[in-house]
Amino acid sequence: MTRAAIAGGAGVRRKERTGLRPGQRVFVWGSLIPIFLYLGVFALFPMIWVVVLSFFNYSPVRVGDGPLGLGGRNPFIGLGNFAAMFADTQAGELFRISVKNTLIFAFLVLAVNLAITLPLAVLVESVHARVKGLFRAIYFLPTISSAVAVAIMWGYVFHPQQGLLNNFIKLIGLTPPKAWLTDPSAFVFGVPLAMVAAIIAYVWMDFGYNLVIFIAALQGIPREIRDAAHIDGATGWQEFRRITVPLLQPTLLLVCTLTMISSFQVFVIFQVMTGGGPQNQTRSLTMEIYENAFRFQAMGWAASMSLVLFAMVLIVTLVQFRVLRTDWEY
Amino acid sequence: MSTVQLASAAPRRQRGRSLAQFFAYFILFIGLAVTLVPFIWILMTSLKPASEIVRIPPTFFPEQWTFNSYQTIFADPKVPLARFYLNSTFVAVARVVITLFTSSLAGYIFAKFTFRGKNLLFGFILIQLMIPFQVVMIPAYLILVQLRLIDSLWGLVIPSMVDAFGIFLMRQFISTFPNDLIDAARIDGAGEFTVYRRVVMPNLGAPLATLGIFTFMATWNDYLWPLIVITTHEKRTLPLLLTWYTSQHGQRYDLTMAASILVLLPILVVYIFFQRWIVRGVALTGMK
Repeated sequence: MTRAAIAGGAGVRRKERTGLRPGQRVFVWGSLIPIFLYLGVFALFPMIWVVVLSFFNYSPVRVGDGPLGLGGRNPFIGLGNFAAMFADTQAGELFRISVKNTLIFAFLVLAVNLAITLPLAVLVESVHARVKGLFRAIYFLPTISSAVAVAIMWGYVFHPQQGLLNNFIKLIGLTPPKAWLTDPSAFVFGVPLAMVAAIIAYVWMDFGYNLVIFIAALQGIPREIRDAAHIDGATGWQEFRRITVPLLQPTLLLVCTLTMISSFQVFVIFQVMTGGGPQNQTRSLTMEIYENAFRFQAMGWAASMSLVLFAMVLIVTLVQFRVLRTDWEY
Repeated sequence: MSTVQLASAAPRRQRGRSLAQFFAYFILFIGLAVTLVPFIWILMTSLKPASEIVRIPPTFFPEQWTFNSYQTIFADPKVPLARFYLNSTFVAVARVVITLFTSSLAGYIFAKFTFRGKNLLFGFILIQLMIPFQVVMIPAYLILVQLRLIDSLWGLVIPSMVDAFGIFLMRQFISTFPNDLIDAARIDGAGEFTVYRRVVMPNLGAPLATLGIFTFMATWNDYLWPLIVITTHEKRTLPLLLTWYTSQHGQRYDLTMAASILVLLPILVVYIFFQRWIVRGVALTGMK
């Protein structure tokens, strides 16, 4: 080691750049090689394989000639699956309905969620520190609950006769809807009633996350800025509108992205509570992927649809990166 | 004039403050009710006799309290509850232990070592964060078929032994860990794995707890992957059991709500104990 250092710079410099002594090399690569071999099989390979499958009319119940069951009776069809998405067939139409439903669901969930969590976070922050924690803890409760149990619970809350919601609506003197989850002719501002029900249930289940993130971000806003606004005579609303919201912008963006992406992936509420009905009004893209892949074994078709889901997630993420370039500091 | 205005403005603002406080509490309690009432209602439903369930308008609190629905579930030979709790616990614990190990190990290496290809490998981890499970679930299923792990509880563990988010989280935490401590241990002659095991690991209490609790809850509540992998009744996890049970007893809301309560309860207990960790973890990481 000393001799090498005396002998010349080149060897030492290389050692500094790689920065690993022999013992460390064993540790680093001995740990990383198994981990990345594993990721190769369970992460990289599935990513490649889902793209490959989307070019085939593949079903695991048929035996193909080629490698991994492809070819022969699982023929290569090029962009056939993607063309089928726009085709005037029942499958194509179901796919388009499911994409439309997923987008409607995600945008409305985002809007409703923000409209609830942002003001609620400000209110939680405004009350005494001792009860603050209690409110936060209880608001967070639905997010840690089993999604299946929550979906079953809300299915019962929406029950037309026995349900909590309709009886509450009757109690305050309004006429409740005939059926929340099964009436295909009921709409609220053009949105199917069953979709509204799914949005209510999902927002109820999920709002705790954004609330907690917003509360943490509010705590990060320096006290002095608020005090300065108070001294200048700002009202509560002005403070919210001119100080809180602008300073929360980076957090707001993160929350929008996360909420959007996770709304694209919602499965349980639809599968368990509405079953995609009535008349496919709540059929989501994830349901469509699941059913085609695992009930009808049409895995090539389902793979191409899951790439559409990936594209949707990717677009939202890229838009976020794009907007995030405007850096904020305070 | 200005002094008069100031004098009168102060109490008005005071009154405005307390009115605002009242308003804040009012809204917060409505939120509390909306959050808790559905839970309380299904709990009450599970404690009613079957005859009271179908009454219109329904009662909120039972007129006649009974544990009948729970007794029916416990006595049902097709619902060996202990078995299903054990299945869920096994999968969750196995995943927590393995995820914590791989995440802290890889996170430590990415935080504290420089080596060729590091950025490339870590970039791959970051890309993993963007890929929804539904996108890769079809190939993941086909791999499990090849490994003959379909309809096995190990099939729920083996595809998720390395968690990209966990590695990312651990790297963030370990980056702030002082190098001096690690170097001191090396000078004392500790091997690299010993440094990780005896110096780094004991200082990771908070992030490991957070990651562990989240992995546990996510696994415990997971539905889609078990739905795909598990086919035998005895191997079902709790969420699978719950949908199956509901499909068997569709209109018996006393039974289905009691079953829901039984699935919700363990996580609730975990939450009561670890509430601080969980809420702080979300605030810190934006974990979802």
